[in-house]
Amino acid sequence: MAAFRLRTSQSTSALVDRPLPWLYAYREDAQSTRLDGPVFRPFVPVSLAHANRSTLLLSGLIDTGADSILASNLLADQLEIDLDDHDGEATHAVGGRVIKARYKTIGLRLHPSDADEARYIHWEAQVGFIEGWHSDGLVLLGSVGFLDRFTVTASRFAQAVAVEGRETFDDRFGVVGLPE
Amino acid sequence: MKPIRTDFRGYEGQYVAVDARTGDVVIADKDPRVVFEKAKGRNHVVVHGRVPLADEPIYVGLG
Repeated sequence: MAAFRLRTSQSTSALVDRPLPWLYAYREDAQSTRLDGPVFRPFVPVSLAHANRSTLLLSGLIDTGADSILASNLLADQLEIDLDDHDGEATHAVGGRVIKARYKTIGLRLHPSDADEARYIHWEAQVGFIEGWHSDGLVLLGSVGFLDRFTVTASRFAQAVAVEGRETFDDRFGVVGLPE
Repeated sequence: MKPIRTDFRGYEGQYVAVDARTGDVVIADKDPRVVFEKAKGRNHVVVHGRVPLADEPIYVGLG
């Protein structure tokens, strides 16, 4: 069996006294209803940080279908980030809309389920800031920058999501290779 | 686990912030900047986003 895994440095740091896994109950989404019933989604509290500034606590939506982390450019304003000095631009289709994201490498903080501002895990990642984002408090947590930093287990049956260290997947299942 | 419910009725078209421990809406305003300002210094309060109007389309996914 051929097996490979690209490993990069895990440059996370923590200001926490509670080890992973962190568990989060699903939360009701203001954005959606389905057949007049509530929609529950895997939201986790996050904040963004740059230089000596940080945002308020924001709703991070874990989205395995998204390739990157996306957020409102209003948050870049709060962090006093000059988006003209960006790492790169890309056009995406999100929620049926075409949007332009300007990416910048900044700090992200994952907070525990009670959204205690003082407790968090910090890491650096590229965030795509979007003008006219449909919901300014929402941060989309996609593959690059979030799902490559943590092992995330989401269960609609349990109505909860677990966030663990990223090595946990390999520890549990072994390194997954290509099918023979 | 039980999901955390939030009663968004009455906040349509507004940005809201909720208490993460209870799911209760604690701040609401049509201007997100006002919500950000009022949420400053309030621990456990998460800015959730905008509550859509009743006739807005339903997102089935964002990614």
